[in-house]
Amino acid sequence: MALLLKTTRFVESQIDTFLDMVSDSATTFQLAIEDYLGERYEQFEERLTKIRELEHRADDLRVSIERFLYERTLIPENRGDVLAILENTDEVIDNIKDSLLQFSIEMPDIPSELDDLWVQTSKASVAAVEQLVFAVRSFFRDLAAVNNYIHKVYFFEREADQIGEKLRRKIFGMNIELSQKSQLRFFAIHIEKISDAAQNVCDRLSIYTIKRQL
Amino acid sequence: MFFFYLLSGLFLGWSLGANDTGNIFGAAVETRMLKFKKAALIASIFITLGAVFEGSGPANTLGRLGSVDALAGAFTVALAAAIAITLIVRLRIPVSTSQTIVGAIIGWNFFAGRLTDYRSLITIASSWVIAFVLSGSIAALLFYLAKPWINRSKVHLLEQDLYIRYALIVIGAFGAYSLGANNIANVVGVFVPVSPFKDISIGGLFVLSGVQQLYLLGSLSIVTGIYTFSHKVMRTVGKDLFHLSPITALIALLAEAIVLFLFASRGLYNLLLSLGLPTIPLVPVSSTQVIVGAVVGIGLAKGGKNIRYNILGKISLAWIAAPVIAFIISFTMLFIMQNVFEQKVQQETHYIFDRITITKIVNDGYDNAALSVVNGRRFDSEQDVYHELSEQHSLSRQEIVDIIQIAEIYPLKVDTIKLTQSGMQRQFSAAQLLALRQYEAATYRHKWQLRQVLIRYPGFELYEAPDTQLKKEHNRRIEDQLNTLYRIFMVEETG
Repeated sequence: MALLLKTTRFVESQIDTFLDMVSDSATTFQLAIEDYLGERYEQFEERLTKIRELEHRADDLRVSIERFLYERTLIPENRGDVLAILENTDEVIDNIKDSLLQFSIEMPDIPSELDDLWVQTSKASVAAVEQLVFAVRSFFRDLAAVNNYIHKVYFFEREADQIGEKLRRKIFGMNIELSQKSQLRFFAIHIEKISDAAQNVCDRLSIYTIKRQL
Repeated sequence: MFFFYLLSGLFLGWSLGANDTGNIFGAAVETRMLKFKKAALIASIFITLGAVFEGSGPANTLGRLGSVDALAGAFTVALAAAIAITLIVRLRIPVSTSQTIVGAIIGWNFFAGRLTDYRSLITIASSWVIAFVLSGSIAALLFYLAKPWINRSKVHLLEQDLYIRYALIVIGAFGAYSLGANNIANVVGVFVPVSPFKDISIGGLFVLSGVQQLYLLGSLSIVTGIYTFSHKVMRTVGKDLFHLSPITALIALLAEAIVLFLFASRGLYNLLLSLGLPTIPLVPVSSTQVIVGAVVGIGLAKGGKNIRYNILGKISLAWIAAPVIAFIISFTMLFIMQNVFEQKVQQETHYIFDRITITKIVNDGYDNAALSVVNGRRFDSEQDVYHELSEQHSLSRQEIVDIIQIAEIYPLKVDTIKLTQSGMQRQFSAAQLLALRQYEAATYRHKWQLRQVLIRYPGFELYEAPDTQLKKEHNRRIEDQLNTLYRIFMVEETG
C-alpha cells in the first residue's frame, strides 16, 4: 500500500505541476501582450520562448500522467474524465502559445488607441484561465468548490467576448486599411479563443463534477 | 453414495458462487477498481472461512423448519431448490436459494407427513423482509454519515480512489465471509442430518467437525462457481445495479456485508444475548435482495430519483412465488423419486399411544379427554396424528406438536463408543460424558425417555421456565446436544 500511495502522491504532484504551468502560461501571456503593446519586443520574444517551453513541458507531463494512470490502473472509474480534463486544459496552453506566435510572426501594427481594450480583453481571457486552474484543482480536492470557479470562468469568458466585440467594432470603425482591420480582427479573435478554450474545459468539468458527486 | 447425492447440494453451491459473488464484488470488478482474479481469490478464501466457522447458526434455523432425514430426500430437496432458482432467475426476478430451499423443505415436510414448524417459518420469512428493509436503512444511514465527511475531507481524487480500492477489498472480504456464513446453510444445510462425516483433529490443535467438513465441501462448490461463471455475472450485476460512483457502491457493499453478518453471526448473537439486548435471528437471507435494498436505500437518501420501483414489486413477488414454486417442484420430485426410482426419501416414523406415552402425556398436563380418539392406536405419519387430535378442538397446535413428540417411536441405545467413533464426543463436556457412561447400553423407545434421564445430571440441566434470552439459549443448546445424541444412539426398532 505504501508504494501505491507513494506513486499516487507523485502523480498528484505532477498534476499540480501541470496546472501550475497552465497558470504560469496565462500570466506570462498577459505580460507578453503588455510588452508587445509597449513595444518591448525583445522581452516579448523572451516571454514567447518561455511559453513555448512551458507548453512543451506541459505536453510531456500530461503524457507522463496519462501513462501512470493507465499503467498503475489508478482511478479506473474517473480515468477517462481526468484525461479529458488534462487534454483540454493542455489545449488552453496551445492556444496561448499560438496566439503569441502569430504576434511574433506577423508583428501586427496596433494603433495605440486600441491598447486599453487590447489589454482588457487579454486580462479577461487570462482571468478565465486562472479561474479554470482553480476549478480543476478543486475537482481533485474540493468538489463542492468547483461550481464557484466554473461560474467565474463563464463570467470572464463572457467578459472577454464583450470586450473583444467592442475591440473589433473599434477596429472596423477606425480609418485604417481594410487589410490591417482584417489582420487585427484575427488577433482579437485569437485572444478571445483562449477564454473559449477555458470555457470548453469547464463544460466538461461541470458534468464530471455531477458524476463524482455522492 | 453420499457423495453422489450431495451433488445436488454442490450444484446449489456452484449456483451460489456464480450468482451471489457478483453482489459482493460486482461493483469493484465492473468499475475496474479490482481485477476479477483478485476478487475471485478473496471471495473464495473468505466465503470458505465464513461457511466453515460461522455457518452453523443459519443452518440450525433451517434445520428447525424441517429435518430431512434421508439422503435421497435431501438430494431431491436441494435439487428442487436449484431447479426452482434456475427457473425464477430466468424471469429476471432477484431471488436466492434462501427462498427456494425453504419452499423445498416444506415440500418435503408435506410429502413425508411431517409438521412444519410455523414459528421457524415466520422467523425465516419475516427475516427476508427485515433484511431488505434493514439493508436499505443501514445504507441510507451510512450515506448520510459519509456524505458530509467525504465533502469535508478534501482528500485528492487519486488518494480517495486508492482508499476506496482498499476498502472494497476489506469490506468485500467481510461481505464474502458473511455471505459464506449466512448462505452455506442453503447449500448443504439439508444434508446436515444425514452427513456421514466424522470430526477430524488437525495436528491436535484444531478440530474440524463433521458439519464443518460438509460446509467445507459446500464452500468448494461455491469456489468452483466463482471461478467458472461469476465473472460474467459480476459484470452484469455491476452494470445493472451500480450506476453509482465507487463511493456509493462501497456504501452499498458495506450495508450488505453488515446485514449478512447480523443474520449469520453466532458470536454477535451471543453477545447481544449476554447484554440482554434483542437478538437477530440467524437466518439465511438473499444477498441479491439485500444489495438491492441497500441501493434503494441510497437512492432514497439521495432524494428518491433514479430508483427503479418495479424492482420492489419483483422482490415482494420473489418472497412468495419462490417458496411456492420450490414447494411444488420439491413435492413432485419427491413423489417421482420415491415411486418411480424407488428411493427412500424419508425415514419411516411411527407414533404410538400406549400406556407409557399416554401416562407421560397426562403427567405433562395435557387434556386427557382429547386423547380418547388416539388411545391405543399406532400411526405412521405426524400429520395423521395431528388431524385426529386437531379435530378435538381442545388442544392448541403447539400442544399437539408436543404430544406427537412424546408418541414418536424412536428406539435408542446409549452407546458412548458410537459417540466417540462419530467424533461427536468433543461436543460434550466431561460431566455430560460421565452421565452418559452411567447409562451405557440402556435402551429407550422414545426420545423423551432418554431426555428425562439425562436432564437430571449436571451438564444436561435445563431451566424450567427460562425467563431470559440467555436461559432460553442455554436450553436450546442442550436440546441441540440431545438431538445429536438421538441421532447417534438410534437403533432399528425390534418389534
